Amino acid sequence: MIKIENLYKYYGKKEVLKDINISFEKGKIYGVVGENGSGKTTLFRCIAGLEKHKGEISSDIEKLKNSLGLLFTEPYFFSKITGKEYIQLLSNARGVKLANIEEKNIFDLPLNEYASSYSTGMKKKLGLLAVLLQENDCYIFDEPFNGVDIQSNIIVTEIIHKLKELGKTVIMSSHIFSTLSDTCDEIYMLDKGELVKRVLKKDFDELEKEMKLVTIGNKIEMLNLK
Amino acid sequence: MKEYFLLQYKMTNRKFVKFGIPIVIGYILLLFGFIWASEYLFSKTTVLAKYLYLLLGLFSVSKLSNRGRNDFLKSYFKEYNKLRIIENCIVIFPFVAYFLYKGILLFIPVIIILAILMTLVKFNRAFNYTIPTPFSKYPFEFSVGFRKTFYIFPIAYYVAYESIIVGNFNLGLFSILLIYAVMLSYYSYVENEYYVWSYKLSAKDFLIRKIKTGVYYSVLLSAPVVFALGVSFYKELELILSFLLISICFLVTIILAKYSAYPNKMNLSQGVLIALGVLVPPIFIGIIPYFYLESIKRLKNILHD
Repeated sequence: MIKIENLYKYYGKKEVLKDINISFEKGKIYGVVGENGSGKTTLFRCIAGLEKHKGEISSDIEKLKNSLGLLFTEPYFFSKITGKEYIQLLSNARGVKLANIEEKNIFDLPLNEYASSYSTGMKKKLGLLAVLLQENDCYIFDEPFNGVDIQSNIIVTEIIHKLKELGKTVIMSSHIFSTLSDTCDEIYMLDKGELVKRVLKKDFDELEKEMKLVTIGNKIEMLNLK
Repeated sequence: MKEYFLLQYKMTNRKFVKFGIPIVIGYILLLFGFIWASEYLFSKTTVLAKYLYLLLGLFSVSKLSNRGRNDFLKSYFKEYNKLRIIENCIVIFPFVAYFLYKGILLFIPVIIILAILMTLVKFNRAFNYTIPTPFSKYPFEFSVGFRKTFYIFPIAYYVAYESIIVGNFNLGLFSILLIYAVMLSYYSYVENEYYVWSYKLSAKDFLIRKIKTGVYYSVLLSAPVVFALGVSFYKELELILSFLLISICFLVTIILAKYSAYPNKMNLSQGVLIALGVLVPPIFIGIIPYFYLESIKRLKNILHD
């Protein structure tokens, strides 16, 4: 379990996260939604311990960082490292010995080519694969479906279901609501750094309707399209 | 076009400021550093120096031939060809001046012509061929670095071979120096925090692993030269091994210096300490523990140690 209490984050004087209180339980999938700049990535970075913050983030796992698989929106790759070496690097970091990486290449990635030459979707798949092979207890996926083709989308969704089955905790963000409603048990909504809503699975349809209404409003009419 | 060069000038100045050096001092240091390195090369490798120097000059220019960069320049500047020629000539100018100073006049038109011809070269994706590396098991410094500098090693090995043929021991030492200088550059790159954060190690164990990998791989790359020189100049074996040991110490210092500034780049104070170590190697005894303790402080935050 990961428990966040009274979490505040400032960049200079700017308040990016304000009094966040959430509990993420084992064996559950959590979605975090919000507009660009609402604080989702900062929240993830705080949980991972990559950002200094005010407030408490505790876990029943002794050192959460060492059991946390973190996938960024845009995974960063060195200029001359192959996909296989990237997976090797992240596995070495966690002390996981990988016998045959090629056999685990479920996305059919060109693992012997430089990762920096991959397309956006391929980079995402490589990042996800590397994090999964680290054998973590918790996962944070920031936009795991971003740029990924439709076939791989299906695979990613199934992977997330499998992680739940295995009792892992998954926290993810996505700008595609259906990907969250398909996988999540709960969705948290962030607005300007504040947690404004917690929605359970039974109310997802309601949330989607509400988001459409609030987000779209009369903006389309304002375009005066002809 | 004038704005472009002004911008390059401003960007260079910013690098000095970021490094903590006053701009004027930065240019003076750069000038003296260049002269010192050139003198050193010519004093150690009398036979091949001019060829190596020519290659070094062209290597500096080749950095500007990246396809993405050139496509960008071409789309923004009408006088693209002129700009590229001026740019390459500016980079090659110090080498031309030194050739002139040394009286190696024949190489002046050669390096200028080759530098101008280099404006026609663009390193594209086809050049992105995956270069095999023996260092895949423990990425990333050596696997990435080796791919970027693989062509230096045959040159260094050839220099060592030449030193044995002509019986020039100093030239042999220079080849070891060249190999280590290249390997030190592998640690100039500051990786994203994620790649340190990912390690399930304490700060101390993280540093030990980095050092062990660095020393092991560096010995592997320098072993052919050390072995060949040891056999050919066996009376100087002690000196060769001492030189190797100092080079390894220097590598360890650079690794520790890098993490003592992490996640920032090394700054002036670290640079000064390293330079002192080069001039007076026994100083390493003090510098290494200092950088080690500073690195532990920096890494503890990221590794939650």
